Amino acid sequence: MDAELGATKSGGGSGGMQRFAIVLTLVGLIGVLIFYWQVFFWVNTERTMGVAQRIFYLHVPAAWNAELGFGITALCSAIYLWLKDERLDWAAVAAAEAGMVFATLLLIEGSLWAKIAWGTYWTWEPRLTLTLLLWFIFLGYFMVRRSTDNSEHGKRFAAVLAIVGSLDIPLIHVSVLWFRSIHPKPVIMSADQPMNLEGDMLVTFFTALIAFTLLFLGLVAFRYGLERSQALVAQRLRRERSA
Amino acid sequence: MMRRARLAVLAAAILLLVPGFLLAQAEPGELAAQTLGRAYWHVFVGYAAAWILVGGWAISMTRRLARLERQLGKD
Amino acid sequence: MSLYLTQLWAVAWKDLVVEFRSRERVGAMAAFTALVGILFNFAIDPTVVRPEQIASGLIWLTLIFAGMLGLGRTFEIEAQDGALQGVLMTPIPRDALFLGKVLSNYLIMMAVVLLAMGVFGVLFALDWGNPAVVLATLSLGALGFTAVGTLFSAVSSGTAMGGTLLPILLFPLLVPVVIYGTSATNRLLADRPLSEVDGQLRMLGAFALVSLFVGAGLFRYVVEE
Repeated sequence: MDAELGATKSGGGSGGMQRFAIVLTLVGLIGVLIFYWQVFFWVNTERTMGVAQRIFYLHVPAAWNAELGFGITALCSAIYLWLKDERLDWAAVAAAEAGMVFATLLLIEGSLWAKIAWGTYWTWEPRLTLTLLLWFIFLGYFMVRRSTDNSEHGKRFAAVLAIVGSLDIPLIHVSVLWFRSIHPKPVIMSADQPMNLEGDMLVTFFTALIAFTLLFLGLVAFRYGLERSQALVAQRLRRERSA
Repeated sequence: MMRRARLAVLAAAILLLVPGFLLAQAEPGELAAQTLGRAYWHVFVGYAAAWILVGGWAISMTRRLARLERQLGKD
Repeated sequence: MSLYLTQLWAVAWKDLVVEFRSRERVGAMAAFTALVGILFNFAIDPTVVRPEQIASGLIWLTLIFAGMLGLGRTFEIEAQDGALQGVLMTPIPRDALFLGKVLSNYLIMMAVVLLAMGVFGVLFALDWGNPAVVLATLSLGALGFTAVGTLFSAVSSGTAMGGTLLPILLFPLLVPVVIYGTSATNRLLADRPLSEVDGQLRMLGAFALVSLFVGAGLFRYVVEE
């Protein structure tokens, strides 16, 4: 990429990383374009839900990527606290940002779907509620990272929050499900009810899933490289100042 | 800087594609005939949101990278 | 084991003595609880809703806000004059330190719980039905809340934002406490049999246990230099 930046990178591998990120992102982008073409011009409209069912193709990959992102963050955070390897923290923050982007998308898709299917933008449907809470937990993750004078502390605090959050999620999920069950049920047609997908719908669905996952991996790899460069630049500046 | 410009053009082109879909879909074609014809707006907003969010994130990352490069150039 | 408990108690006792001499946190929390109870009375039209129907939600939210007020200061006093460094240099294991802090916070919290039951009982003319079970529900919920709250008060006092950050970190994690706590209290206030709140109490207990264990395990990474 850039000679200047390349000079700050210690050792090899980072150039390969950036190339890998760009290739993955481009392949993902092409896949997403194919998927958009499929959704708008190719795939048949589902009979009962009509055109709104098309949100489903976007909704499921968004959910999968959000979960993937937050899962990677929690895992990397736990190992980071254990091994204290900077790279794990870079991976955690990269995945957390991606998880945040896709969780936001998921919330938007979810409420658009809810508007059509249930007549309201927001319902306290368990999955929707859980996603909202996850979103707020990871909002805290970024706020805590940014609000420390000592960045090492910020990283550790954020990792602690990610671990507690991921352990709390099953409890939150159970409680939200339970909360739902004591309220009057709205007329629910679950977005994730197994629909008998026809061949073309299945193809579209998997195109979306694979394309967005590749895009996710590419962008996370790119973000990882960015975090790494930032850390190395900060390190070098510190060293120059103290010298 | 060249790279940034190229990225910006790419992003703009991609964003322009979205209204393209909108127009293509708004025509009373055969697709419209076979549906209820009420939920289009939501579907378009949903699919545009995907581009805006992912694209916005990518642009913010390239901006941060550019800032880092500026910082390096200054020192 | 007994050494561990002695160390744990030493930490808790130190905090309680500080608290007893200054009465800073308990005083603020108690005044807050009473004032919120009064404000809720003005905010609610008793001709529209019956107080028993919403009292459980109000009590839980009052406890959480009041608790936040006190928990946020757990590490403030020690952070101000660097006393935390001294505590950390003692040979007390980090988890004992954490559990000691939780214990002292919990005792302070329980004083507020008792006060809240009194204040809300009098101001809203509530019939507690079975006060012992209501108290048990509140104590279980307060235990989980205190454990998570103590951990994150250590986090937030390590940041530049301080106590402002605490609710943002804490509220999403406290959803199970609020849901199970209010629903159990609600049913108890409606004079339902004990068997109906059994599940909620178990879940509150599970939350408290998980929070204690996770907090004790992770606390060392929060205070580590």
